[in-house]
Amino acid sequence: MANLTEVKVPDIGDASGVDVIEVLVSVGDEISVDDGLIVLETDKATMEVPASDAGVVKSIEVKVGDKVSEGDLIVKIEASESSNDDASDSDSESTEDSSADDSSENGDSQPSSAEESTEDKGEQKSSKPKSSGGSRSEPITIPDIGDSEGVEVIEVSVKAGDEVEQDDSLIVLETEKATMEVPSPFAGTVESMSVKVGDKVSQGDQIGTMKVTDDAGDDSSEDDPKEQASEPKAEKETSVKDQPMPKSEYKPAPVTVEPFERSEGDVIHASPAVRRLAREFGADLSKVKGSGRKNRIMKEDVQSYIKFELSRPKATANSGAGAPADLPEIDFSKFGEIEEKSLSRIQKISSVTLQRNWNLIPHVTQHDEADITELDEFRKSMKEEAAKEGVRLTPLAFIMKALVASLKAFPTFNSSLAADGETLILKKYFNIGVAVDTPDGLVVPVIRDVDKKSVYELATELGEMSEKARDKKLTAKDMQGSSMTISSLGGIGGTSFTPIVNWPDVAILGLSRNQVKPVWNGKDFEPRMMLPMSLSYDHRVIDGAVAARFTVHLSKMLADIRRTIL
Amino acid sequence: MSNLHAQVVVLGSGPGGYNAAFRAADLGMDVILIEKYASLGGVCLNVGCIPSKALLHTAKVIDEAEEMSAHGVDFGKPKLDIDKIRDYKDGVIKQLTGGLAGMAKGRKVKTVQGYGKFTGANEIEVEHDGKKQKVTFDHAIIAAGSRVVDLPFLPEDDRIVDSTGALELRDIPKHMLVIGGGIIGLEMATVYRALGAKITVVEMADQLIPAADKDVVKVLEKFIKGKYENILMETSVTKVEAKKDGLYVTFEGKNAPEKPQKFDMILSAVGRRPNGDLIDADKAGVEVTERGFINTDKQMRTNVPHIYAIGDIVGQPMLAHKATAESHVAAEVIAGKKHYFDPLTIPSVAYTDPEVSWVGLTEKEAKEQGIDYGVGKFPWAASGRAIGVDRKEGFTKLLFDKKNNRVIGGAIVGVNAGELIAEVGLAIEMGCDAEDIGLTIHAHPTLSESVTFAAEVYEGVCTDLPPQRKKK
Repeated sequence: MANLTEVKVPDIGDASGVDVIEVLVSVGDEISVDDGLIVLETDKATMEVPASDAGVVKSIEVKVGDKVSEGDLIVKIEASESSNDDASDSDSESTEDSSADDSSENGDSQPSSAEESTEDKGEQKSSKPKSSGGSRSEPITIPDIGDSEGVEVIEVSVKAGDEVEQDDSLIVLETEKATMEVPSPFAGTVESMSVKVGDKVSQGDQIGTMKVTDDAGDDSSEDDPKEQASEPKAEKETSVKDQPMPKSEYKPAPVTVEPFERSEGDVIHASPAVRRLAREFGADLSKVKGSGRKNRIMKEDVQSYIKFELSRPKATANSGAGAPADLPEIDFSKFGEIEEKSLSRIQKISSVTLQRNWNLIPHVTQHDEADITELDEFRKSMKEEAAKEGVRLTPLAFIMKALVASLKAFPTFNSSLAADGETLILKKYFNIGVAVDTPDGLVVPVIRDVDKKSVYELATELGEMSEKARDKKLTAKDMQGSSMTISSLGGIGGTSFTPIVNWPDVAILGLSRNQVKPVWNGKDFEPRMMLPMSLSYDHRVIDGAVAARFTVHLSKMLADIRRTIL
Repeated sequence: MSNLHAQVVVLGSGPGGYNAAFRAADLGMDVILIEKYASLGGVCLNVGCIPSKALLHTAKVIDEAEEMSAHGVDFGKPKLDIDKIRDYKDGVIKQLTGGLAGMAKGRKVKTVQGYGKFTGANEIEVEHDGKKQKVTFDHAIIAAGSRVVDLPFLPEDDRIVDSTGALELRDIPKHMLVIGGGIIGLEMATVYRALGAKITVVEMADQLIPAADKDVVKVLEKFIKGKYENILMETSVTKVEAKKDGLYVTFEGKNAPEKPQKFDMILSAVGRRPNGDLIDADKAGVEVTERGFINTDKQMRTNVPHIYAIGDIVGQPMLAHKATAESHVAAEVIAGKKHYFDPLTIPSVAYTDPEVSWVGLTEKEAKEQGIDYGVGKFPWAASGRAIGVDRKEGFTKLLFDKKNNRVIGGAIVGVNAGELIAEVGLAIEMGCDAEDIGLTIHAHPTLSESVTFAAEVYEGVCTDLPPQRKKK
């Protein structure tokens, strides 16, 4: 038999009364799950509302120009008998969702397992060829996210009941370096999500549970649907109780990245004793998030705020974003028309780190030119051959190889200064960071073990990393552990620049646009392709003479790439 | 001339001064407390809060005994022995000031009697009975208080007194004029009326106790109207002629009687002024404002970093409990603690009959500050307890910020209002909202219930009143 399913506007953030700018389906269309139904436009973005069910569109309840909010009806879909498990599962879900809306007696208002639906619907579906296999409830935990602990959740992309594919993004985290998505470890249905925006998570923290459908039929659910159904329920309860406590001492947004700020009209309340404590430590209560009833600031909040502040790296504490505050505010509009645009998230993050690095590191930039005439000829000659193997052979892959050769010759360049400022940590690995310009700002993915990889491999990996960077798929781990960083503006232009060292690196190699120049070979001027290099380095670690030797060495490597294999 | 030195010298031994001295001593510092009078405690204990409350207690019992005649219990006309009443009051003072002296001794706080004036940045000269003594200090806390404002046109006459003179209770006049309808004047009027005087109150403003909200004071005004001979609002005294048979007073203003009126006693209670101008603060480099106040930061520090000031001398409100709170801050800051004086609110109480109290913002202030506030008002006419004691004229009023329903102020008028207001102060300091107060169970039947009910009225959930217009 056929069921009519109502598809409603899902959680679209705070937005309500959002314009429908396009209707993508018509009555009679056969659609599958996740097919776009309509396109909404908020003040922030346009978004497609995907179908939660598969089936045939029976009626469309919105038209272009309508304003919709969460829960509004979009279309009615008839799920055909022949539709697969998926469809019937989601079918029953959405039916339940609608009943859950008016918080009915249906005690468990967040169903999502096929079993529950089966139970609820009674015989009606018992004949359904349910489950080629059983399904189980799996906790979703935070995977290895590098060293980062207590990383802030800035977006929860799924909710209970959502069907997700493996590697679909579940939540978005923000580290000091970048934002990253936590991919789903399984395909299945989200049962519960126990994190919310603003929570802090670390590796291993449970963020929710998921109903995973097994292919194997060994624990077939036909016999004991009840048990199956109650199991996830119990788990749900515990998952609420045992909500992973953020490991970080201090809950609110990390001040290093984005100072916690109360919106206007937000009332801070702290009792007299708490105010006294804050005064004693000079803690600004407006920056402390209250964990007490009605957001009251408790003594513990002040204590953890203080601990948090003390644990922050000193450099950021007395530099970074603090400086601009001293500057007077200028009303630019009195000079002419202006427009205000807030910095992107990545820009905000990098502004803090760049400021810190600039203040922390005594920079010197050494400029040099490398003759890459032969290198370029060789690269061009190999281009086609490489393309056949699916490799886009870029100069950068060669330059990385040359750089590794120079790092081997000058080990201090492959080092970091220990926190005590008295010890140099020399690295035996050769990982090269590559600054990638994305529409949202600058990120620096790291290519690992460059010394052990072929130029082809490097070229391929560079392509992948850049794509990952542009798709915002980089994880914190992808951006850690560099030996040195390359920032190339060669594709754009310029003759030299002064890059900022990407701490904890001690040097960064800036590349400008190569140019054919007349070079005196002792007898006459020869046209040579010259690559301008700008090497910024940490003068605490590297002396000027060594830096000059380094660029000379690197030029030599680039002049004849064969030297790198010597 | 002998010399004394202490880490901390406190000038003045009122509630601010003695608490500062005791706190400093408790924190391990050696302390000298300078007081011009023989007994410690300042105005509050000797000629202010405490003696007036002793007399107000007497007045209350007289009034209540009289009220009982309407309930079938007639005690007859009271026989007053003015000397014994005075003795009782003096006994109360003695007990408290004696207690202070003992506590000072127990803390090894050295008290020096005499009039202290600064002679340098680290030096005070104390004069007593013509003898001078130098006291040097590392830190000083100025707690020199305030004094009564004199009306220049009042002649010198025994029958014209200030609050100190009124508390001496020399005799009970037949007709008494109270100049100033503020807290002090009205409290003394309450005492003298109970003891048999016919009271006239004259006030320049359009309401008694001008700082409080009109609706609150209205209850007091209505209650005392029939009991007092006259209440002359928006009226002032222009001339007082002291004759043998009485004091002839000429009024001017809205309710001024045409002819001069005759009184047997005049209490001048038009306010107090700070004593900043009496201590040669400039010799220590401490700045004193034109009006006699000494400005401090939130740590009670004056412009001279090692000299602190607390109490009436640093500004309004001139209340003992404010001075006490400041005294601890000053002593603790000297002891190296990073403490600050930053209360959200300081309560005010008029111990009149009925009592009037308020804390936090008044409606007047909330309006001035442009706060969108809501009122929860519970009339005591609906309070079983108030009806039981036959005092249902009062009410309890709470103000809430509509943005978040937090309590921002409260005012209570009625018997025991001065005690009841404490809870509202705590609620403000703790950031309670209407729900918090409404959900806090209060004992029944008490007057304190009215605080809960007022919160419930604001929320629209009070069932101790006729049905309210629905709020939610």
